[in-house]
Amino acid sequence: MADGVGRPAEARASGFIRNPQDFWGGAALLAVALFSLWAGSDLPGTKGFAFGPGTAPRLFGGLLVAVSLVILVNGLISDGPPLERWGIRAPFFFIASVLFFGAAVRPIGLVISAFLTLMIAAAANKDVRWGESVIWSAILTAAAVALFIYGLSLPMQLWPR
Amino acid sequence: MMDLIHNLVFGISVAATVQNIFLCLIGALVGTLIGVLPGLGPVATIAMLLPITYGLPPVGALIMLAGIYYGAMYGGSTTAILVNIPGESASVVTTLDGHQMALQGRAGPALAIAAIGSFFAGCVATVVIAAAAAPLTSIALLFGPAEYFSLMVLGLILAVVLAKGSVVKAVAMILVGLVLSMVGSDLETGAGRLNFNIPELADGINFAVVAMGVFGFAEVLRNLEVTHNRDIVSAKISGLLPTREDLKAAAPAIGRGTALGACLGILPGGGSVIAAFAAYTLEKKLSKTPQRFGRGAIEGVAGPETANNAASQTSFIPLLTLGIPPNPVMALMVGAMTIHGIVPGPQVMTKQPDLFWGMIASMWFGNLMLLVINLPLVGLWVRLLRVPYRLLYPTILIVCCIGVYSVNNSPTDVYLTAAFALVGYWLVKHDFEPAPMLLGFVLGPLMEENLRRAMLIARGDWSVFVTRPISGALLVVSAILFIIAVLPMIRKKRDEVFVEEG
Repeated sequence: MADGVGRPAEARASGFIRNPQDFWGGAALLAVALFSLWAGSDLPGTKGFAFGPGTAPRLFGGLLVAVSLVILVNGLISDGPPLERWGIRAPFFFIASVLFFGAAVRPIGLVISAFLTLMIAAAANKDVRWGESVIWSAILTAAAVALFIYGLSLPMQLWPR
Repeated sequence: MMDLIHNLVFGISVAATVQNIFLCLIGALVGTLIGVLPGLGPVATIAMLLPITYGLPPVGALIMLAGIYYGAMYGGSTTAILVNIPGESASVVTTLDGHQMALQGRAGPALAIAAIGSFFAGCVATVVIAAAAAPLTSIALLFGPAEYFSLMVLGLILAVVLAKGSVVKAVAMILVGLVLSMVGSDLETGAGRLNFNIPELADGINFAVVAMGVFGFAEVLRNLEVTHNRDIVSAKISGLLPTREDLKAAAPAIGRGTALGACLGILPGGGSVIAAFAAYTLEKKLSKTPQRFGRGAIEGVAGPETANNAASQTSFIPLLTLGIPPNPVMALMVGAMTIHGIVPGPQVMTKQPDLFWGMIASMWFGNLMLLVINLPLVGLWVRLLRVPYRLLYPTILIVCCIGVYSVNNSPTDVYLTAAFALVGYWLVKHDFEPAPMLLGFVLGPLMEENLRRAMLIARGDWSVFVTRPISGALLVVSAILFIIAVLPMIRKKRDEVFVEEG
């Protein structure tokens, strides 16, 4: 405890929520569990000895409610490190590139969408070198086409239709 | 005995076709290639490469995946020795003495002994699998739904016990996996569950989507944040071959590691990790000079490396005989088998003997390939370690994107993968380990099915799980293990042996 006094912000979280990773982790899982219970609430349950479609989801969801409550309470009564900061740049551009690929691959074909996906993803790195990225994206696109289209003959559109 | 030889010969005849040997070689090579890259363990590697095998015939696909698995395991050991980054949790102990050897300029012998030990373990484990498969398959026939359910409970509990950090959080992860696995149509009634009438979710969430999102992409997001300072052994690796003294010192360790690993690997829940730790402890206990351990003792590399390879191979036994994946890698194998329309379980041996014995025989080929690939190519792997991450992550991105899309040609799968990438990133930020979730996700439908059947047969009597002897014994073992795992946590002194880095 003594070493925690000098640098409270670094080593230990302070305030009412003493272990924020557990508290928010538990809270989010509780939300997931309750959501799944709500989403499955219209499914028929057990009839006699026979499980209905809703029995197992309710069983697992119910257990998750209990366990996530334990984690949440543990976040209040035990000490732990503060929440880690989320990166903004890396997740934003990386996820954007994946979503772009999903949206683009059908209408504009693999070649252009793969290249653009890689260029968006390149921005996720804070030390991006654009010249290098253009060359590398082109190489990877060519390699992907060679491997997946010619090598494994996946049925995919190459160019815009 | 004759049966065993007959079966192995049959298996070799399946595995030794030009195509299958080629696939095995490619698998081992690509697996090593990717396993060597920092931050990519066997689970991520297999998840990433799963789509490459879709177009292959089932036998070839599984042979290739098994090759990828060994390759990735071996790649993990290479990074453990050369860079002090364990590629997966099973090679954590290899860093202790392996990296010390490398610092002393003996990286060559360390890598060679790891390869030789792994090869020996692989040969023995292949025979063990072949010998154990038939009797175990007949035991599987004694298993009713209640036993299957209890065995899966045991597997999940073992996964919890071995997960790093909080036991409760690992349990929560398994339950999240189970809940996720409920999405889709109910097996018996066909009723849509938790799918919000989204047609792409009618068949459930695709396995590749979860695996690549949570393991492939989330790993990239995490790695983009940390700056890599890789302490690569810069000294030239000279004198690859171990000396006669090295071999003499390592030989008993290899023998013991093989025996220990082969036994522990059969246990569900991550046998290769325990095997590596147990082998290291054993070697240190038996050594006349235990003070050398941690300072570059070759037994400290040979023992654990051998044990983890033996264990990672015998961990195929529960999968092949009972159809139950004992660890996340085997969970991925189930995913792969399902995609090829194979239901893992005891019936595989009788219904698809070519697949079953071919795969077992290919394990031996896989290990031979590793030896052939790794000894001459060590220099190449070292150079590969220097590939900057800014070139690496776009490669992972595009392989995963095309892979996920190609499963169903469905853009929705790609969007879902992006969502699971954020889920995986969130989990890491809140100190949750995603591996138990994947195991729960794969086991969910199997557990539900067996629970359902058991209850129906027992006419709704829950006591069936404890009154049937095998099932009861499995549950008692699970309960004891769980209590052992939870006790130290209550005392706030949980031993953090299984800390996984990098």
